[in-house]
This record gives sequence, structure tokens and C-alpha cells, in this order.
Amino acid sequence: MTTADRSKRDSDLRFEREALPWLDDVYRFALSMTRDEADADDVVQETFLRAYRSWHTYAEGSDCRKWLFTICRNVFLRSRERERRKVDHGGDDAHLETMASVMMSVSLRQWGHEDLLSRLDLGPAIDRAVGELPEVFRDAVVLVDIEGMSYDAAASILGVPIGTIRSRLFRGRRLLQEMLINHARDAGLIPHAGAPCTGLA
Amino acid sequence: MDCLDVVRQLWDYLDGELTDDRMEAIRAHLAACRNCYPHYDFERAFLDAVAATRREQPAPNMVRRKVMAKLRQAGFAGM
Repeated sequence: MTTADRSKRDSDLRFEREALPWLDDVYRFALSMTRDEADADDVVQETFLRAYRSWHTYAEGSDCRKWLFTICRNVFLRSRERERRKVDHGGDDAHLETMASVMMSVSLRQWGHEDLLSRLDLGPAIDRAVGELPEVFRDAVVLVDIEGMSYDAAASILGVPIGTIRSRLFRGRRLLQEMLINHARDAGLIPHAGAPCTGLA
Repeated sequence: MDCLDVVRQLWDYLDGELTDDRMEAIRAHLAACRNCYPHYDFERAFLDAVAATRREQPAPNMVRRKVMAKLRQAGFAGM
């Protein structure tokens, strides 16, 4: 076996050991973006092909899952023939989104439904609501809230500043909460018209 | 740090994305404030519910086979 053969064998073994175990995670992430199994299938295949071809650029010991998610995101964007969006939704809005969310908790308390989240079977409703979020907000929610990534890692994967991730994440969370409240209203768990909320306490 | 400061930073706090000093200041405020704690409790329950939707969802075997076929075409000799 030549030196080149040995080097290739070692490289393939490392790819097998470090990259392939993340196939399920990459598939889940691809599915969250495409919302279509056949499209996710294509994105995952292309992601691993690109990852294999550029394996020499992967820094050993770094976060392989994050590296694969970044490739996956880029494959998805290319598959949609769309420019990567650089829209900054405004970091300063983030605090306002948090405040708006707190207002919801105030309203629920005023209605005597502060335990709503623990009473609802939220899994299916959240799944549906996440799927209905506009894409820029959905990506942030999936990466941080479902995949458990830091703002920094999510920003790196999506290629946007941390402030953008934060504002998209907070907007996405608030939209999700609105959808869940509507779900609870439709289910007759809370009234359709609540008293206007004017204060924090 | 007053209630307004705390609720404005509640999600940053729950995400552990603040400085240690700020995390500690908010933690101390929440422990003592009856107005803010329910908001914290609501947001934490919400984020827990979202996180709980993560399923260990194996990629279908067909996808796995296609990935391996594609890699082998590209020269991958593992597995």
C-alpha cells in the first residue's frame, strides 16, 4: 500500500467515524427546511457528497455537526436557487419581542389560564406551528430551540450576525406563541376576546 | 435591575446568553420578585415544550443507502 493509499484510507475512516454518525441529525435539519421528504433526501445526499469531497478542509476536533449543518444549509439554498438572505430584522426589536411575549403570559394570567402550556398537548401543535413559520424565523427556532445550538453556532450555520439570529429567534418564538394561543382558542380552552393588557403585573 | 430590565432580557437569560454578572443579577431578581417569576415560568415552560418536539428521527434506510452509494461513487472506501 502506498503512502497515498494509506492517507486516503485514514481519511475515509475519519469521515466514517466523525461525519456519518450525524446522518440522522442532518436529515432532520434538512427536513425542517424543505418540509418535504423527497427534497430532504436530495439535500442530505448532496450534503454528504460535498462534505466528503471537502473533508480535507474540516478541522479535526471541531464541531462536525455544525460543519455538516452549514453545508446542508448551503445545499438547501442552492437547491432553491435563491440568494442567501442578508436581511437584518433589527437587533433592537429583540427586546420588544420578548416584551410582547411577556404580555401574552400576562393575558393568560388575567384569564386564569397561566397553566395553559402544561395543560395542552403541545407537541403536535408546535410541530404544525413551526412548519408554518416564515423560513427565516423557522431556521433560527429549529437550530436554537430544537437542535439546542448556541446563538453563535446558529449564526455561523446561517451565515448571519448573532444579532440577526437573536431577533429572528425571538420573533419566531413570539409568532409560535401566537399560533399556540390561537390553537387554544380554537379548542375552546381560552376566550376569543380577552381584556386588553396594559401592564406587566 | 428593575422588572422591566428583567423581562426585556428574559429570553437571553433562559438561553444562557448573558454575561455571568447579568445572569446572576437576573437570577437574584427572579428569586425575590413575585411579579417576574410567573413570566419566567411561562417562558421556560414554552421553551421546554418546543425543545421536547425534537424527535430522534432516523433517516429512512433508503436515504442512508443513497448517501452511501453516492459516497462510493465519489471514491469512499469505508464501511
